[in-house]
Amino acid sequence: MIEVQGVSKRYGSVQALRDVTLRAPEGKVLGLLGQNGAGKTTLLNIITGYLAPTSGRVLINGRDPLLEPEPAKRELGYLPEHPPLYDEMTVEEYLRFVAALKQVKAGSIPGHVREIMGKTGLTEMRERLLGHLSKGYRQRAGFAQALCGDPDVLVLDEPTVGLDPKQITEIRALIQKLSAGKTILFSSHMLGEVRQLCDHVVILHRGAVRLDAPIGELGGRDGVTLLCTLQGGERRLVAAMNHLDGVRSVAVQPGGGEDEVRLRLSFGHAATPEKQVFTLCSALNAPILRMTRGEDDLEQVFLQAISE
Amino acid sequence: MITVFRREWMAYFRTPVGYVFIGVFTALSGVIFYLSNLSTLSGELLIFLSQLTLLVMLLTPVLTMRLLCEERQRRTDQLLLTSPVSLTRIVLGKYLAAAAVMGVAIGLTNVCTLILALYGTVYPGEWFVGYLGFTLQSMGFLALDLLVSGFMKNQVPAAIAAFAANFLLWMVDLLADKVSVAWMSDALRFLSLYDRYEPFILGQLSFASLLFFLLLIGMCLLATVRVMDARRFSQGGAA
Repeated sequence: MIEVQGVSKRYGSVQALRDVTLRAPEGKVLGLLGQNGAGKTTLLNIITGYLAPTSGRVLINGRDPLLEPEPAKRELGYLPEHPPLYDEMTVEEYLRFVAALKQVKAGSIPGHVREIMGKTGLTEMRERLLGHLSKGYRQRAGFAQALCGDPDVLVLDEPTVGLDPKQITEIRALIQKLSAGKTILFSSHMLGEVRQLCDHVVILHRGAVRLDAPIGELGGRDGVTLLCTLQGGERRLVAAMNHLDGVRSVAVQPGGGEDEVRLRLSFGHAATPEKQVFTLCSALNAPILRMTRGEDDLEQVFLQAISE
Repeated sequence: MITVFRREWMAYFRTPVGYVFIGVFTALSGVIFYLSNLSTLSGELLIFLSQLTLLVMLLTPVLTMRLLCEERQRRTDQLLLTSPVSLTRIVLGKYLAAAAVMGVAIGLTNVCTLILALYGTVYPGEWFVGYLGFTLQSMGFLALDLLVSGFMKNQVPAAIAAFAANFLLWMVDLLADKVSVAWMSDALRFLSLYDRYEPFILGQLSFASLLFFLLLIGMCLLATVRVMDARRFSQGGAA
């Protein structure tokens, strides 16, 4: 479990983090979202004990990495944004070195490293120098080092940034595979990735937490978006939709066919908006050709969180 | 500590640094041996060792400049500093690896001792005291240079600053002669590595000098640990 309690960080006159509090429960995947410069990397560096906070504290399974560095860091695997690789070492040498650093018993290191290379798809590359690996394999090697010592908590900083689509898919699958039984905190500015992998989302903006919620509650928490394709007069439908209970906005979307209107309806709360729309359209004799819940709730939540 | 030592030792010889250092040190010590002993037909081992100081001052920054700066440049320090290994062990491991490479270079200068022994006389006591002083002085320079590199972000400035620090501590006794304030002059003379090394090159086993070098090494390593620890509180990172 990761607990961040009132953490602030100041670099000279720059306030990088302001009173950040969050909690990543055991066995859950927590996504840390934010624009570039929001303070994500600073926060992760503080969580892992690489940096010290100006105020506040961090607990890894109940231990502060600054006060009890060795036991706290034993529970922790960290993949920084740039994998910390020594180019002159082979993959296997490097992982053996990291395993020894993580205090894996000397006799268990060869088996442990073999297992990790198998999990991360590095077995065939074990004799290669790290400096000769492609970006995708370097990222895998970074993952592999984070897994050395079998830590309970994994902290991953933008693990898919700069990778090609195939590599992104592979790395995401790897995170999903690893997520069983571990607490994972990873930062990203890719909303789809967070939606796919996380149980819980924290949005950081200008160093402060703007939203902290389970991913499943995001739609209900901040409203519901409906995308409707209807038949009927545009003006009449828009005017009528604006009177629905809880409606926040009604926007006409491009791309409707002949005599069709595509509307994007945003509701402030989750009071069965589909039922209201159906009843209204029935009364207006306006056939509903298609009605779906918006897939971009998280985008809306994110944009709203950082615009407040 | 042993894990860090092994990695650093391997890194010296997976890159040209270790070979170049040992090669250049050995070649130049050969030149010094020729100039100080062979060309003058002198059998004095201690004169040869005293002449090697300049070489040590010049070359130890090559060994230490990468130890901390390179980790920061390549961001591999994130691995070390987030691992369950104390800063003291990290610094000791790195220092001992540099000291081991230095030890190999010092060991190879014994070829010169062997030549002197074959064509003259080298007394074991003289050899022991001379090499003890020379080794302590070299290890002192290494510890000082490691501390200097702890303040730097890039390797070349680290090497230049380390050489300047070596030179300053070596020459500080000359400054002491020019200072009229008695306590300041005494303090500068106390810090002079030349003055501290002098008893050994005169063949005297000085416990005061021995203690001074051991304290210098300990203080520099301790200060390096503190510098690295302080950086957690001060350094900026990518947001």
